[in-house]
Amino acid sequence: MDELSAYGHQEFLSSLIDVAELYNNAPCGYCSISPNGIILKINHTLLNWLGYREDELIGQKFSVLLSKGGQMHFEMFFLPLASVEHSVKEMSYEINRKDGSSHPVLLNASVKLDDHQRITAINTVLTDNSARRQYEKDLIRSRQMAESERKRLQFMADFIPEIIFTATAKGKIDYLNARFFEYFKCDIKIPGSAFILSQFHPEDLKMLLKTWQESINLGKDLQVEIRLKNFSGGYEWHLLKAAKFITEGGEIANWFGSCANINDHVNALKKKDEFIDIASHELKTPITSLKAILQLLDRVKADPGNRMIPSLIEKANKNLRKVNILVDDLLNASQLAQGHLQLNKVQVNLFELIGDCVHHIRMENNYEILTEGDKDATVVADEGRIEQVVTNFISNAIKYAPDSKKIRVKICRLATSIRTEVIDFGQGIAAEKIPFLFDRYYQVENKGVKYTGLGLGLFICSEIIKKHGGKIGAESIQGEGSTFWFELPIQ
Amino acid sequence: MANDVIKRNHVNIIGNGQQVMLFAHGFGCDQNAWKFIVDAFTDDYKVVLFDYTGSGNSDITQYDRIKYSTLDGYVQDLLEVYESLSLREVIFVGHSVSSMVGLLAANHYPDYFSKLIFIGPSPRYLNEGAYNGGFEKKDLEDLFDFMDSNYLGWSSALAPAIMGNADRPELGEFLTGSFCATDPDVARDFARVTFFSDNRADLAKSKVESLTLQCADDIIAPTIVGKYVHENTPGNEFVQLNAKGHCPHISEPEETIAAIKRYLLKN
Repeated sequence: MDELSAYGHQEFLSSLIDVAELYNNAPCGYCSISPNGIILKINHTLLNWLGYREDELIGQKFSVLLSKGGQMHFEMFFLPLASVEHSVKEMSYEINRKDGSSHPVLLNASVKLDDHQRITAINTVLTDNSARRQYEKDLIRSRQMAESERKRLQFMADFIPEIIFTATAKGKIDYLNARFFEYFKCDIKIPGSAFILSQFHPEDLKMLLKTWQESINLGKDLQVEIRLKNFSGGYEWHLLKAAKFITEGGEIANWFGSCANINDHVNALKKKDEFIDIASHELKTPITSLKAILQLLDRVKADPGNRMIPSLIEKANKNLRKVNILVDDLLNASQLAQGHLQLNKVQVNLFELIGDCVHHIRMENNYEILTEGDKDATVVADEGRIEQVVTNFISNAIKYAPDSKKIRVKICRLATSIRTEVIDFGQGIAAEKIPFLFDRYYQVENKGVKYTGLGLGLFICSEIIKKHGGKIGAESIQGEGSTFWFELPIQ
Repeated sequence: MANDVIKRNHVNIIGNGQQVMLFAHGFGCDQNAWKFIVDAFTDDYKVVLFDYTGSGNSDITQYDRIKYSTLDGYVQDLLEVYESLSLREVIFVGHSVSSMVGLLAANHYPDYFSKLIFIGPSPRYLNEGAYNGGFEKKDLEDLFDFMDSNYLGWSSALAPAIMGNADRPELGEFLTGSFCATDPDVARDFARVTFFSDNRADLAKSKVESLTLQCADDIIAPTIVGKYVHENTPGNEFVQLNAKGHCPHISEPEETIAAIKRYLLKN
């Protein structure tokens, strides 16, 4: 306190402040300009920065210190702002030195008013902005980079076939990619949870919410199979996954999730299971018979002359043939599915080939099979395989149209191929089932009646014809009958 | 619809006259730019002021980058203001780029306009062949850089207000009262539309009498460009002002008012 009062003479304090000195050698530039932008007064610091003498700048327009773009900005922003607002805060410019190099500055300004509130001068303060300018440039560049990165990620997110989303740590969904809006035909920008929850199958909802809540509470990744509504109102199976994104601090920042449509996969698995059921059942019947026959034979083995023996052996053979056919079909199908089918192609007369097949079938069944059409139609094909297709078509006609005792086989020549049709007059097949007839494991169900067999036959046929470079198909009118056809190219 | 436009473009109607006078602000500003001169007209005219969508106190949520990527988007704004107020035979005063917006609108609907008053007009800012617009492309890129770098300066001043700082109401006032407080992204778009447009061919199609007010020493719209507008626009009168710079309605309001009144009295 004593020390302070020793310095406390008014005279001494005023000697510390030299106004002219403070003005001229301040750590910033001072420049007073007229309302029209003419330089009226300028301090030494600014002159030193710029490398000009005072008399070179007084009376000049301030904008001569700026580049053309800077001048435009000055005219359009700085001067109007100063005039209307009476002050300008931190405008960033680059002013040109006498030597042509540029000096980044921040421009602050306040105005001097006369008694009529008219502006007489604009006092500007220029501070060195080199460091901040560099930082700003980096910031702008980062902003641009972030923006282009955002666009890139957005493109990727919208491009992939799955629905993807992000959610907050608490599980509120805050982003969905374009696929979501496509799939649900949703045009709300940020759909609420009510909309999202209404898209799940009611049977899955409770399990999903429970699992999701558990994931959020325990920070456990989520993976569930659920059904989602599709556009036509049905449901399709989806695999819903979500993984937590953890910050460097170990907190859960948010959740990243994906939702892939696995409907085809789930259905295929289901079909395969059903097929295994059917196949086991089909194999079990002849094997059970064989077991019974063997037990009988065992009982009568002491008497080789027993009259039952020949008929038991014949029955055993018949059942064994059934097993054999089933196993052949299974092997064929798996070979075909893996593309292992080898063709042994020769010149074949289709009419004769069909005649042979029909003869065998006619012998076994009480059917009228009519073969008609081009007797000279020949193709290059694997005789055994084509026979298999024709036999299959005709057996199907017998199996699925048991009441009609008539089957027609027609051969006709088209421009580039030979077409073979097997026509029955049974009850026909529903139109919506036709596209699936040649699928693996597909079996036509008719009014709840299930036919025996593996349902592999038409799949095998289709693979054989495709391998020959041909086409296969079926047409049907319910109540009138069906036509199964294949076309083989003329080489 | 009418109310939507009034709100979207922050339309203000003041004054006691019958004849309507509409003021359209230039690039980078808003209707506050007219505050030094409107009072001189409110006794005799009904004065309509508005902000283009994206500028001033317009409803920024209505800003559509595609729509406003050409001057036509702004022409549409202007025409919608006319339609929502059922304006006809209006004295239109446009500053800078608004001169061309007014001209384009008048070429579509001449009966909406009785006079066009251009302050610092330019149909084309870029030099091209023999045409001298005043700027090379790199000058404009330089301007856009300045706008970008000042974006940071602006946001430091505006951010607290934008973030809704309820306990510091003076910041909100600063924003609403502020002139040139256009959203930086919109300002950048608007600058591109303004400075890359070419409306030279539209001048000859004008069917409305017009006035060009030319400033001295205007680097944005130099005298040679003002003369070009005068020579190529049918029925255009040319007045040279003593006011310097690009904004005579701000820097020399009396002279600007007098020049407009003289023209309106004579015609």
